Amino acid sequence: MTDTPPPAAITLGFLSLVQDAAGVSGGYLLTNAWGRPLEFRLSSTVQPTKVQQILYGPTLADYLQCELIGRTLVEKSGTPPVLIVTDTPVGLGLAHRLNVPVVAVGDEGTRHPRSSKPLAFAGNPEAVLELVDAAVDLAEPFVRIREAAAEARKLGGTSRAAA
Amino acid sequence: MLPPEHDDVPLVSVTEVPLLKPPPTFGPRLADLSVNARDTRLLHNPPWVRSVGPLAMTVTTEGWKFPAPPVELSRPPAPRQPRPEGREIVLAPTLPDNPDAPKPERVRSRPTADTVLVKDRLLYLLQPPIDGLFDGRALEVPFKPFQYQAEGIAFLVPRTGALLADEMGLGKTAQAILSLRLLFHQGQIQSALLVTPKQLIHNWGRELKAWAPDLPFEVFPADPEMRRATWLRSNCPLKVINYEALTRDAEVLADPRVRFDVVLLDEAQRIKNGDSRTAQVVRSVKRSRSWALTGTPIENSHEDLVNIFRFVDPGLPLDGLPPRHLAAATRDHILRRTKDDVQADLPPKMIRDVELDLSPAQRVAYDRAENDGVVHLNELGQTVTVQHVFQLVMRLKQICNFDPLTGESAKLDQLTADMEEVAASGRKAIVFSQWVEPLGVLAGALAEYGPLQYHGRIPQAERTSVLDRFRDDPAAHLLLMSYGSGSVGLNLQFANYVFLFDRWWNPAVEDQAINRAHRIGQQHPVTVVRLLAEGTIEHRIAGVLEAKRKVFNDLLAEAEKPSRVGLSEDEIFGLFDLTARPKRAAG
Repeated sequence: MTDTPPPAAITLGFLSLVQDAAGVSGGYLLTNAWGRPLEFRLSSTVQPTKVQQILYGPTLADYLQCELIGRTLVEKSGTPPVLIVTDTPVGLGLAHRLNVPVVAVGDEGTRHPRSSKPLAFAGNPEAVLELVDAAVDLAEPFVRIREAAAEARKLGGTSRAAA
Repeated sequence: MLPPEHDDVPLVSVTEVPLLKPPPTFGPRLADLSVNARDTRLLHNPPWVRSVGPLAMTVTTEGWKFPAPPVELSRPPAPRQPRPEGREIVLAPTLPDNPDAPKPERVRSRPTADTVLVKDRLLYLLQPPIDGLFDGRALEVPFKPFQYQAEGIAFLVPRTGALLADEMGLGKTAQAILSLRLLFHQGQIQSALLVTPKQLIHNWGRELKAWAPDLPFEVFPADPEMRRATWLRSNCPLKVINYEALTRDAEVLADPRVRFDVVLLDEAQRIKNGDSRTAQVVRSVKRSRSWALTGTPIENSHEDLVNIFRFVDPGLPLDGLPPRHLAAATRDHILRRTKDDVQADLPPKMIRDVELDLSPAQRVAYDRAENDGVVHLNELGQTVTVQHVFQLVMRLKQICNFDPLTGESAKLDQLTADMEEVAASGRKAIVFSQWVEPLGVLAGALAEYGPLQYHGRIPQAERTSVLDRFRDDPAAHLLLMSYGSGSVGLNLQFANYVFLFDRWWNPAVEDQAINRAHRIGQQHPVTVVRLLAEGTIEHRIAGVLEAKRKVFNDLLAEAEKPSRVGLSEDEIFGLFDLTARPKRAAG
């Protein structure tokens, strides 16, 4: 017998945060342990004003990406994730806000067999990472998220600036 | 105020000066100066304030939920078990990974042009790469599919109408099974019907167990009442039926409860005649997705393809479309790869045409039969029919195989010599013939090579054991098959030689036969030997077949094509130097 839980019991949240000329937006993909999509959620684009930038100062990125967009996307989704994977180090701030281990894939961090890119950790995700299927590359779903976000916006999905 | 008086201070005389009179002035006059004053209300009104907008930021979200995989397909993967001997295809050892080597592009499923709902389009875009699914334990498979097979799966999965027309031997079965399995896993489908020729049911069962061990399937029983229960009451996700039984159950198909998320047709050329009962019944099955598999979508005419598409995509207006426009109209629904396209994944196939002189006895018998036959046909005049010509062709072809009196056979002599080499190298060979009788003769003549027979006279129940023995018995070097029984669907990649003892009318059927051996899993080059009797009807037929093969390839390669590629009546009559012609042909 095996102690491996069924794949549906392990939900992974992949949070992609994109900053461009239009502002900051997020895409959140919830998958099972095999990387199959369960839910997808997009945020509107938030463009802080000059005054907001001055007044929020160095806390702006953390507030915008973690508190405002990241947290909203995760909490609006139907299933809580056991692990959040983000594509920006700022996203690591979600760990203490949501009490969920977070890993960030990027150019800096430690090598891990579940990711083709280095990982930075917040919390203790090692135990959860062990449950992820060996075929899953934690860096890969962000390609899907970007394509899906572009497709949704092309077809008239979320594109409104809320700020 | 005046100063205090003192005695010693002299009195000052005062002169009255009229104040109203302005003093004498020099320069500008004082009356020209003025002072401006303005009230300032510093304490009565609040200070001026300009709003900088809200400091708080807000965000809105939009989300899509996707179907959850059924519970029974979400079980944890079983621990890896060693596979039974002989069931696993062992791949040649690969070189260590070269870190500098370019990695192949990931294979992703993409929404089709007719996928209109945002949710559906996102669902396909968000699926993990197909080539990566087989690296872990999400989809356990006997061996990792090749890159082109992953591309085939990526083609099938998002399509509601699809024709997978890969050349035989490229693994259409595995691609179709894995596509179904993925859709079941994704929760996109709950029911599927597989329609296949009767003789391939067992083969499909074996392939399903290998490629989708977690997918339950049920074969329709022979008994009509039990079949009815399977149609109406069974909730098995995948049901398997043969064409004949499906045609007999046409009435049940009208029941609204009989509906499938996917209907998969194997050997879809079975519905190439659109007016046939089989084709009509197949098209009547209620379904959401229509998939078809065939290596020969065009056997005779472009109409074959049109009729297959009446199942694949009934809404596609192909009737009356000029053949040259057919490829463009169906492009998005067809995927066809040839072995040349994926050559890196398959060992080579070498075709050798061996042209033999008939033995003296055969030559005498042949010449006499042809001369007499032609004379007879000419005597028939306008009453001659294609059937008359066919009878003569069959007679002559049989003589090309064996002399009817002495049993001499130039082909047998050649085959015997070749078999010595095959057996000496420890290889196995398949011999195809149009008739069963010559196979029996060959079995006797080549007894030392452990021949086994697989044709219409071998009971269905025994056929699987024949194939198993051919695979497992090192003394069994030779399998004798008829085109009719052995040309489709069987996996015989453990044989490295294919002999075509006589030629079939249709090159597609010959290709099917050859590709029993030259298919995925084959580890060695495959040698195909086509035996031809020099200066006979076989030679003339071979010329026609070659022309047909060219037309087939050209049409699928989108070239402009003639409408018919079959053996026309004129071509059949043209096999002989006849003066007689049937009335219709002559007119």
